[in-house]
Amino acid sequence: MPDIPSAGQLALVFAAIFAFVVGGGMSLLRLRAERLAPSRGEPGGRRSEALRVFSKVCVCAGVLLCAGVLAWHGISRGTWRPLEDNFEALVSLAFLLTLFVAYIQRSHPLRGLDWFIMPIVVLLLILAAVFGRTKPHAYLDTTWSLVHVTASFGGFVLFAIAGSVGGLYLYVNRRLRSKRLVPGQGFGSLERLEHLTLVFVTLGFALLTVGLVTGLVRVLEPHGRNSLGPEWYRNAKVWLTFIAWVVYALVLHSPINPAFRGKRMAFLSVLGFMLMIGTFVAVQFMPTR
Amino acid sequence: MQRLLLLGLNHTTAPLEVREKLAFGVKQRGEALASFARRFPGCEAVVLSTCNRVELYIARQAHGHPRVEEMVEFLAEFHQVPAASFQDHLYQKANELVVDHLFKVTASLDSMVLGETQILGQVREAYEAACQASAAGALLNPLFQRAIAVGKQVMHETALNEGRLSVASVAVDYARNIFEHFRDKTVLSIGAGKMSQLVLQGFVGLSVGQLLVCNRDALKAQGLADKFQGQAVGFDKLAAHLVAADIVVSSTGAPHPIITRRLFETIRRQRRYRPLFLIDIAVPRDVEPAVGEIDNVYLYNLDDLQQVVATTQSQRKDAVAAANAIVTRQVGEFAAWNRQRELGPAIHRLYSRYHQIAQDELARTLNKLPNIQEGEKAHLEDLARRIVNKLLHDPVQVLRESGGAHTPATQYLHALDKLFLLGAGDEREEGAASPGEEHRGLPKPDGLA
Repeated sequence: MPDIPSAGQLALVFAAIFAFVVGGGMSLLRLRAERLAPSRGEPGGRRSEALRVFSKVCVCAGVLLCAGVLAWHGISRGTWRPLEDNFEALVSLAFLLTLFVAYIQRSHPLRGLDWFIMPIVVLLLILAAVFGRTKPHAYLDTTWSLVHVTASFGGFVLFAIAGSVGGLYLYVNRRLRSKRLVPGQGFGSLERLEHLTLVFVTLGFALLTVGLVTGLVRVLEPHGRNSLGPEWYRNAKVWLTFIAWVVYALVLHSPINPAFRGKRMAFLSVLGFMLMIGTFVAVQFMPTR
Repeated sequence: MQRLLLLGLNHTTAPLEVREKLAFGVKQRGEALASFARRFPGCEAVVLSTCNRVELYIARQAHGHPRVEEMVEFLAEFHQVPAASFQDHLYQKANELVVDHLFKVTASLDSMVLGETQILGQVREAYEAACQASAAGALLNPLFQRAIAVGKQVMHETALNEGRLSVASVAVDYARNIFEHFRDKTVLSIGAGKMSQLVLQGFVGLSVGQLLVCNRDALKAQGLADKFQGQAVGFDKLAAHLVAADIVVSSTGAPHPIITRRLFETIRRQRRYRPLFLIDIAVPRDVEPAVGEIDNVYLYNLDDLQQVVATTQSQRKDAVAAANAIVTRQVGEFAAWNRQRELGPAIHRLYSRYHQIAQDELARTLNKLPNIQEGEKAHLEDLARRIVNKLLHDPVQVLRESGGAHTPATQYLHALDKLFLLGAGDEREEGAASPGEEHRGLPKPDGLA
């Protein structure tokens, strides 16, 4: 059964938002501290290291708070699946995203990635706090629904990373073209950012396709509970998802049609992700069945 | 009482022709240390020889040997070159100035390329060679260990080793911002001038897949291609070479642009829109500025690269100030530690000697007073001790505070030995240190504790 989050759970969500905002802020301050430390005649390494550790602690605290919210909400509902209502789904998306980023930053560090991802995490948590309170949804009534929701959310996480890497590509590209990039700042080469975008879009595209197909099966199922109604094809969510799918298909064409590579690919990955966010927002205004 | 001496020359005082005459190879360095030890027994020595400097660090007893002229003579004899051929290029420093110089050397503040880290390894090698030859002792052991620690501290705590100072290396750094791998990349050099050579040298270090040299003068192109194991190609097929290239270094003497937007638009599709890094270091420019407006083309000219060099240099001014602050603080700490190391035994001997004299005189007086009570005897002993302490308090205080430029502690210590007939014992016992040993009272540099 869907459950509206309690005030305590919402407080934890806001605490997580605060932790992520502070952690992200520390990450930005670190760059500034490294730049200013020598002119102050103080050891830059130590200050920067302190900010790095503080930022990491904040992000870890945010992750733990998200995990705590999910556990609390799950216990109060008596279920272990963190996708059964809107609140859980959005918090678990934010949670997955931070875990994924932590993994990437540990295995192949990419400076600046958190500047793009943390705002998405914060946005998801705000959506969870706002829409989770007012519009509880029950998603997982059939196996098709479970596969649909899991694949769609998995795709969303991968597209969020692709969009963030794409955003970072556009930032580095802009700085390079305007001759304002100081070499050696660790943002990663354009070649690497392009490759990562393509990898995450490819994986996300596969999951999104599964999500689309299972969603289609769900709405066409004669006895299924179709939340979109008989005129499902006129729903904004369907159209936004389809447009996002086409956009990502274009990105996937870049190895074949190099006209889409580089800046265009990065732009399309950011555009695709914005459409995905639009889809998620559209879902919030759909009627509950 | 030990005295530190440094005799050397570096890239600022001597040209390459002089430096190479005095350079020590690995084998030669061992032989030099052995020869030095035979010639000046009891004297500590470390020989630092790099492509930019040759320096001889000595620690010997005050008023002992070798003196500076003997060190010059040693260098001349060892390398079998007349002293007159290098004497004018030498610099010499003593005591605290040696510490300051060595700390600056390891911090790369005295290097040709500011902030380079190679020097730290070279100082370490020089010190290890001296340790193997048992040439480093009570003073040079802590000095070099501290110098290496200071070098590390500067590298960790300042931005001195960040950024680059040459146009060529800035170009290479920018290439790293565009490309991740270079084994599958083609570098095209248009022109075969000196600047092209410098930039190509940087790219060759990245192990690029293919290097093409294109020049109107085929012989020159072949010469440069041979130097970097590349391939000389004809200037008439420039467009085809531009299709193959990922990185282009252009430095021809052409009066007009040779790569125009129009030319580039025609080959863009053939290039499959691959990113292209164009480095135009020619004056007048070889590449039309409009080419840089095309997507996936990154055009940098000499001004752009020099601007980055200037930026990193101005950023480095701050880093240099921070590094100098660290070095100054560490030199002060080392000097204070060394002064304490040398003063301790002398003060101890001074007090021992005068307390002994007081005790002897007291004993003689007590012999003449057979009816004295134990309590009175204790009072007299206390009196004698206090008189000695009060008499010595002021001179010892002055001695402890000495060490400035105008009142060198070594002079006071020497005077102390002579005036009070202290007779220098084995001073090494107090401050002696061997490699890897912790030096008592010498604090570790910040951040390395």
